[in-house]
Amino acid sequence: MLKTKENTALKVVIYVVCIFLAILSILPFWIMIVNATRSTTEIQQQAVTLIPSSYMMNNLKILTGKSFDPITGFLNSLTVSIGATALAVYFSSLTAYAQVAYNWRFKKQFFSFIMAIMMIPAQVTMIGFYQMVYKVGLTNNLSMLILPAIASPSMVFFMRQYLQPTLPMSIVESARIDGAKEFMIFNRIVLPIMKPAIATQAIFSFVASWNNLFTPLILLTNSDKYTMPVMVSLLRGDIYKTEFGSIYLGLTLTVLPLIIVYLLLSKYIIAGVALGGVKG
Amino acid sequence: MKKKIVAASLCAAMMATTLTGCGGGNGGSAGGTSNPDVINLWAFTDEVPTMINKYVEEHPDFPYEVKATIIGTTDGAYQPALDQALAGGGKDAPDIYCVEAAFALKYTQGDASQYAMPYKDLGIDIDAKLDEAQIAQYTVDIGSNTDGDVVGLGFQATGGAFIYRRSIAKEVFGTDDPEVIKEKIGPGTDKFFEAAEALKQKGYAIISGDGDLWHPIENSSDNGWVVDGKLNIDPKREEFIDMSMKLKENGYHNDTQDWTDAWFADMKGVGDKQVFGFFGPAWLINYTLAPNCGGSTVGEGTYGDWAVCESPIGFFWGGTWLLAGKNADEEKQKAIADILEWVTLDTSEEGLQYRWANGTLYGEGGTKDVVASATVMEKSDGAVEFLGGQNMFDVFIAANENANGKNLTPFDESINTYWRNQVREYTAGNKTREQAIADFKTQVADNLDVIVE
Amino acid sequence: MKQKKVGYDRYAKYGYIFSAPFVIAFLTFSLYPTIYTAVIGFTDLKGIGSTGFNFLTDDLLKNFKTILSNPSFIQSFKNTILLWVCNFIPQIILALLLAAWFTDRRSHVKGQGLFKVLLYMPNIITAATIAILFNALFGYPMGPVNDILMRLGITDAPINLMLNKNVARGVIIFIQTWMWYGSTMIVLISGILGINPEIFESADVDGAGRVQTFFLITLPNIKTILTFTLVTSLIGGLNMFDIPKLLQNGGPDNSTLTTSLFIYNQAFSGSYLYNRAAAASMIMFVIIAILAGITFRLMRDDDEKEAIKEKKRLRKLQKEGK
Repeated sequence: MLKTKENTALKVVIYVVCIFLAILSILPFWIMIVNATRSTTEIQQQAVTLIPSSYMMNNLKILTGKSFDPITGFLNSLTVSIGATALAVYFSSLTAYAQVAYNWRFKKQFFSFIMAIMMIPAQVTMIGFYQMVYKVGLTNNLSMLILPAIASPSMVFFMRQYLQPTLPMSIVESARIDGAKEFMIFNRIVLPIMKPAIATQAIFSFVASWNNLFTPLILLTNSDKYTMPVMVSLLRGDIYKTEFGSIYLGLTLTVLPLIIVYLLLSKYIIAGVALGGVKG
Repeated sequence: MKKKIVAASLCAAMMATTLTGCGGGNGGSAGGTSNPDVINLWAFTDEVPTMINKYVEEHPDFPYEVKATIIGTTDGAYQPALDQALAGGGKDAPDIYCVEAAFALKYTQGDASQYAMPYKDLGIDIDAKLDEAQIAQYTVDIGSNTDGDVVGLGFQATGGAFIYRRSIAKEVFGTDDPEVIKEKIGPGTDKFFEAAEALKQKGYAIISGDGDLWHPIENSSDNGWVVDGKLNIDPKREEFIDMSMKLKENGYHNDTQDWTDAWFADMKGVGDKQVFGFFGPAWLINYTLAPNCGGSTVGEGTYGDWAVCESPIGFFWGGTWLLAGKNADEEKQKAIADILEWVTLDTSEEGLQYRWANGTLYGEGGTKDVVASATVMEKSDGAVEFLGGQNMFDVFIAANENANGKNLTPFDESINTYWRNQVREYTAGNKTREQAIADFKTQVADNLDVIVE
Repeated sequence: MKQKKVGYDRYAKYGYIFSAPFVIAFLTFSLYPTIYTAVIGFTDLKGIGSTGFNFLTDDLLKNFKTILSNPSFIQSFKNTILLWVCNFIPQIILALLLAAWFTDRRSHVKGQGLFKVLLYMPNIITAATIAILFNALFGYPMGPVNDILMRLGITDAPINLMLNKNVARGVIIFIQTWMWYGSTMIVLISGILGINPEIFESADVDGAGRVQTFFLITLPNIKTILTFTLVTSLIGGLNMFDIPKLLQNGGPDNSTLTTSLFIYNQAFSGSYLYNRAAAASMIMFVIIAILAGITFRLMRDDDEKEAIKEKKRLRKLQKEGK
């Protein structure tokens, strides 16, 4: 009986904490969306409120009037984020698999090398990045925002740590006996096993890529190539009049697709969680 | 992720230099000349691109397509990108580019001045035109390179005035006549503080925060922040720290910071104390005071309760200059010259400035703004409902003449921020005056290539 | 190690083949720019429009010396460490607690899928939104936080909270914690789920309590993931940039100036001191490398031990499975 009581008390604590944190998570989104419906003047006079106003269409007009093209921005952002995320998770998994499944001469050194370059702060590596991109004339090319994702050392590390204890080599071996090619084994057998890890890392990568402002801001000078955050940042560029209403609307439009993608992937996470529970 | 952001910003920092190394070769392969059909326009807001589109629209036979690149000045994004494009040359090089007051000097006289083509080399008869249009002298000073040739001019003039509440003026000074109020609050800071005391007796604040006073003080100093590569604290600017303290200790202001909610609230008259006025150019009236006054017709909020008079200290605040790049061929130069002339020097009723001043560029009833040419303003109607029907041009023509364009440096944006932050630390009681000035010097030495003694 | 058992030499080439894309991308997009930066640190490259650079022949380490004796840099380094430590500790505690709750099979939290989804949400919102919102919240002399303080009678006059160094740091620490605990939690949960459930079952059989299970079984078994979290957070934290930049640009009075922001300022705010910025970057690189190296060394020993344990466990399992 004591045990049940204790359980109930703990559950109450858990729910109270979780609900509190959940509110803390939703509130900024709510305020942002509400502010997207309010006029700049209203926002300047009372920044935070929970009650929407009626200026959304007006804000949208200001937005689109300022060379803000949500469709183009959305497509560019989507290309970059999906491309970078797909490459990052695929090649990180592949590299991790090479670590776990094969016995090759420089394997250990290579892993030490990955750990070492994980420590290189990206700020250092990016200093000369622009120079190189410029030299080959790819400044307005979205691929320059995508391809570097192939080498994501911390993701490789994560994938390896995940794969090492969970990969049943017996399955790999029996697939080999059935005549499957190595590459096929990776695609058909190993990748599905890695689903929980992939889903988690995919979300991290997608969010980071989608919200990344400064790289695109510097690489892209052609307005046809702008991503959503770049477009929103241009709205703030006017120092004499800051249209807060339309900025909030822009920020909302930027984050909406992200929320949708996140919710889709998060379903996968919850499913993956169940998968992780039964494996072993 | 955080690190990516830093990284990228650093990469921006690097690009101007890295590019120059490879830019030559790249420019060569691109042919070294600019694209024959396109005029590249770089701006930090959509204001100039929109007006130039209007020009193209009205000139159907204009043979070039104007391709605008707009990059916000937020987070320092505009300058590195522009620098890179200028240094890179070739077909994507800017043919017309806009610079803002805060960094104009870098492009007209400083490190990046070699990319700007003098107006006279474009075939503009600059001296005669300047004379005819009576362009505000400070804009010419800022727009001239070290050889004295004009390389940049604006359409707008941003000479500053004092913008005050009529109702408060009547109550405290017995009249709202700009000619009288001008004498009450100035000239000079002593009279300004006398007025502040008089206003305080009736429960009013003379200004909203010390930032309002900073622009006049900054602009009235004899020398800029940097003289011969060394930090120079002009006595007038140093005095600001004491004035700021005086304002705070005596409750002469609401202690707000510009561009914050509390500052905007004072425009509506709903702050701690009612605020008498703001220092600012015409754009402050149009884009800041009017939208924040709490109404849109006389009687609502503070709409219509405002007037402008000459500032006790002459100053200017902000502004856009248009510069021309050197990459165009002769034919395109002609087209560029036509655009620049239309925007910055044309005084006819078809010119941009006349229509800008009267608010008719995009149809009747638009926002009236102060322009660079006094000639245009003299023949325009600057009566504004927001100012109780006052013709603001009378005041602003004088304000533009009183502004001083000779004490600027390319470091102003950074140094002003350091200075005002330290002043705020001092007035908030967090440190002594000496400490604040010492910390200010350290910050300049640490962050800039300026010698501090 | 287990792969020795199955790793035939004829498969070794796939190790190289599968690692090749990573190496190529790394060499192109990371190594070259890194070397370039390191070189800049030894030159006189500064100022916009300067075309070339010369090595500092009289004193090759001049930039590094300038940076190391620069009071703002030292201040920014202290700030960065402080901000990171103060946000990492609550973040990891909160994340661990939540991860333990959500993976606890006995209390089985209902709606935990929803909670997980919501708690990660702060990481999605762009830093610019957060900065605008928090600046508005702490507005002075009028703002929601001041309103509340005055209504509760805590203060008579509005306080310029953002001018208080501790408040400013506290706000950044709060935002960083709030933005990242969800993401840490998800990583930890996937770590815990990777633990063989049989270990938990046997702990149940042995009558281990919740707390005991957590400290004796869960924690030791996710040590590698914890180290991973520590290292990535260390690297991210020591490069902290966007929130301090957007919120108060390192203010008030340099109290939230981070090293990344310092580097950014060196390169951007007026003087374009690329050489100094590059030198500061390399100094940070060395510091981060040393710290992360220490962490890894500590972890690798454990990793090896873990691997042996894991191997035994797996062998046992495989026997049982068949």
